[in-house]
Amino acid sequence: MRDIGKIIRERQEINDGIRAFFRSRAYLEVETPILVESPGMESNLDPFETVVEVPGGGTFGGRLITSPEYSMKKILGEGIERIFTLTKVFRNQETFGGMHNPEFTMLEWYQAGAEYQACMNETQALLFHLGFKGEIERCRVRDVFLKEAEVDLDFADHAMLKTACKRFDIHTDASDTVSDLFFRLFLDKVEPTFQGRNLFLYDYPVYQASLSQLTHDGLYGQRFELYLNGMELCNGFTELTNALEQRERFQEEARERKLFGKPVYPIDEELLRLLPSLRNPTFGNALGVDRLHMALKGYKQIQDVLLFPAKNLFTH
Amino acid sequence: MASPNDIKKGTVINRNGELWMVIDFQRVSPGKGGSFVRTRTKHLQSGKVKEENFKAAENLTFEDVQYKKMQYLFRDGNLYTFMDTQTYEQSSISESEIEDTIPYLKEGLEVKVVMHDGNALTIEPPQKVQYAVAYTEPAVKGDTASGNVLKEAELDNGLKVKVPAFINQGDEILVNTETGAYSERVSK
Repeated sequence: MRDIGKIIRERQEINDGIRAFFRSRAYLEVETPILVESPGMESNLDPFETVVEVPGGGTFGGRLITSPEYSMKKILGEGIERIFTLTKVFRNQETFGGMHNPEFTMLEWYQAGAEYQACMNETQALLFHLGFKGEIERCRVRDVFLKEAEVDLDFADHAMLKTACKRFDIHTDASDTVSDLFFRLFLDKVEPTFQGRNLFLYDYPVYQASLSQLTHDGLYGQRFELYLNGMELCNGFTELTNALEQRERFQEEARERKLFGKPVYPIDEELLRLLPSLRNPTFGNALGVDRLHMALKGYKQIQDVLLFPAKNLFTH
Repeated sequence: MASPNDIKKGTVINRNGELWMVIDFQRVSPGKGGSFVRTRTKHLQSGKVKEENFKAAENLTFEDVQYKKMQYLFRDGNLYTFMDTQTYEQSSISESEIEDTIPYLKEGLEVKVVMHDGNALTIEPPQKVQYAVAYTEPAVKGDTASGNVLKEAELDNGLKVKVPAFINQGDEILVNTETGAYSERVSK
């Protein structure tokens, strides 16, 4: 039987700790809209959809955010350089429980004038501030792939990744892209080695770095993820500030969405208008607060830290 | 043809003529590109378990299975016998196929039996099952103050669970068969 009071107190302590940490570093807490017209465009996301009606007629397509990213970047574009938000975000087609819930709490923060390495340092400082104990390793994606999947991502093309999958007897499909093959190797050979370890994984291949600046050699995106004992906790970038490139990526994502039979949303033109005003570099990080709660307090499933897990809310 | 997105617990996938039942699955998304489904599947003949990942955009072949409401009757060696509550027909399933569920079985319990081509493959118990508490120590005075002290209880089918201190011998309680944990007391 679970102790609701304990969960409530723990969450309050974590939220207070997060706010105190960012305020001490001169960040401003911002509130961002949850109901928007242009939600995340990533082709793997399924936003909840609704219709916004205006009295006297007129309707708009409304969607619940999958991340506050676009609003946060607009605020940065207006010249506010250190911001954070704690907000609810929504993703449809999520498993009820385990590591997922369709509604969850996200901490997102951005800092102008610093890049992803500084963001990893700050993420680590936040965790220690919140009472996390333990070493956190830092590993390049290329290095772990070399070790665990025996492929060198500096050179690996489609054929080499496919051969690697065959070698490990990993199921592939004729429709697999380079990105799919990368992810198959990651799921099978790489991610399982994260159990029992805490690590920042960084420098993802370009095809796995949707909104980030590239590394100097142009082969990787300045993206990182943090894994705590095998659990994915956050995803950070040195953000892309080039509006032309951003538009191309939106269009590519729109094509992918169409291909997967998913709705395509209007491009957020205000974001593209404000993007060139972001300072270069600017880092951003999105961190799942429910999973953070699990990691800090030793819970194994997300429903253990949610007062109202989806499984109890949707029963008919 | 079916999409891995339609996978549920109990979905039976035909992989080159062999039947694998999904015992667990999780959607996973890379930072970019289409999502994947991690699966743990059980070979329906050998009981062998394997982990495999499918891309949402792949095509899979699912086998139709039927779910029959049946009542648990008795155990004979490693065979467990169930009766169709409509036709009174009996089917037996071997221990290895229902290993996880066995602790929750009690005589007369109604379960969903997964059938394929007339064979019983495995069973699904109700999410919550009611049992009587056969034995538990009386609560020690003072323990109940904080309301969250747990103690051991043995139920009428031999299952052991942790229950709150206020539960007495003879009480009827609900147990969650997915987690194995005490859920609530049934009001008399």
